[in-house]
Amino acid sequence: MENAQLITLSRVTALNRQMNVVANNLANINTTGYKSENLLFEEYISPVGSADAFKFGDRDLSFVLDDRTVGDFSTGPLRPTGNQLDVAIQGEGFFVVQTPAGERYTRAGAFTLDAQGQLVTHDGFPVLGDGGPIQFDPEDTKVTIHGDGTITGAETEIGRLRVVTFDDPQLLNRIGSNLFSGQNARQLESPRLSQFALEGANIDAISQISQMIEVQRAYDELANIMRQQNDLRETAIQRLGRVQINA
Amino acid sequence: MQALHTAATGMRAQEQNVQTVANNISNIRTTGYKKQRAEFQDLLYQDLRRVGSTSSNSGTVVPTGIQIGSGVKFAATSRVLTQGSLEQTQQPLNAAIRGDGYFEIELPDGRTAYTRDGSFERNQNGEIVTLDGYQVAGGITIPQNARSITISNDGEVEVVTGNDQTPTNVGQIELINFVNPGGLEAIGDNLFLETAASGAPQTGTAGEDGLGTILQGFLEGSNVEAVAEISDLISAQRAYELNSRVISAADEMMQSAGQILR
Repeated sequence: MENAQLITLSRVTALNRQMNVVANNLANINTTGYKSENLLFEEYISPVGSADAFKFGDRDLSFVLDDRTVGDFSTGPLRPTGNQLDVAIQGEGFFVVQTPAGERYTRAGAFTLDAQGQLVTHDGFPVLGDGGPIQFDPEDTKVTIHGDGTITGAETEIGRLRVVTFDDPQLLNRIGSNLFSGQNARQLESPRLSQFALEGANIDAISQISQMIEVQRAYDELANIMRQQNDLRETAIQRLGRVQINA
Repeated sequence: MQALHTAATGMRAQEQNVQTVANNISNIRTTGYKKQRAEFQDLLYQDLRRVGSTSSNSGTVVPTGIQIGSGVKFAATSRVLTQGSLEQTQQPLNAAIRGDGYFEIELPDGRTAYTRDGSFERNQNGEIVTLDGYQVAGGITIPQNARSITISNDGEVEVVTGNDQTPTNVGQIELINFVNPGGLEAIGDNLFLETAASGAPQTGTAGEDGLGTILQGFLEGSNVEAVAEISDLISAQRAYELNSRVISAADEMMQSAGQILR
């Protein structure tokens, strides 16, 4: 009898987590370069080892296991901002950011300059070009960032933004602050960048809300099942446990 | 239930987004105002099943783990430094900057502030001051008997006094630029202060070294576009609503969990 309870519990726990994922997606609906996340489930068959020697052998029970979160790495909508240090990547690719913990990757191209004139993120981490951090001179008040990442200042070429890609972006690890960590970054030869724009979050509010409703209803249903199982058990204990005095 | 807190961070972020939009809209007629934009970042992730962790004795590795985020944070307000519209005022001491640069203003407490607001006046000593009476750097004094005042494109101030026919030069308004003008600290009254992020002020002559030119008799309006702000406001409000729906859904889920035992 506990099996039914436990299987339901495995689903309830998974739904709980899915709700958290949906909540995080909706909370980040205005986050620059945010990529939607989804939780995938798989069937977990138990017992793994079963005994068939008896007449009524072990039956397989299938539990729910939340297996992995997958990111949706499609391009979000481009929002024009009019700032010359805002860059959006169209299609695949990530900017490379130098953090104290090593190179990190981001789709959020809202850059600014620090006191030394280096191109940095809003957290102050240098944005890397082909030859390390990108340095601006005080005279470079008009900056042009070309589609392939080349940056030209007042007269001269300042550098080229490094844009990398990954064979499987699902292997990237989210570390917050719009950054990803990952391995085996590969230089993207011909990125497509747009200056004066930022990439919005690629969240589809309707699908997130419908997912949320689905989660909520399934949760209600399961809570109902658990309650019925509980009632069942309660009745069983009451009936079976009654001592027959006039036997 | 984490979803409650996550959605709460989303609501708080949208609230701050609305505040930013409200400030932009209320400054739509402020001279030299540059609109602000809210920037958001995702918060830390909880690794329930870490990418790359070992999944069996034979050394297999989890290719994609479970990462659940904890919401959003308000990261920065950045200024959109596009040119505002130029409005003609016919006032000889009104000046607008067409292009990059700031006027330098001496604050009464000895600090130096920077502004794009060129609505200047003369004080009782004939000095050029802002509407608050703060002196414009350069210490230019307009003589009492000045008949006409001319400010040239590069900031030269010339006056014709008394019965003179030829104008006399009384000084020059210089412009200041920064490596990162977006890093200036706004202190209200259309004034900005230098910060470590803005870099040191670079003084120059208008029209040179990438600085803009000065237009006499004009003022620079704000660069706030009403339609863009209203659409930002609508999207912020809807996002706020979506997050509040998540909170009520999470609440109902908890409620139905609480009713399992009756």
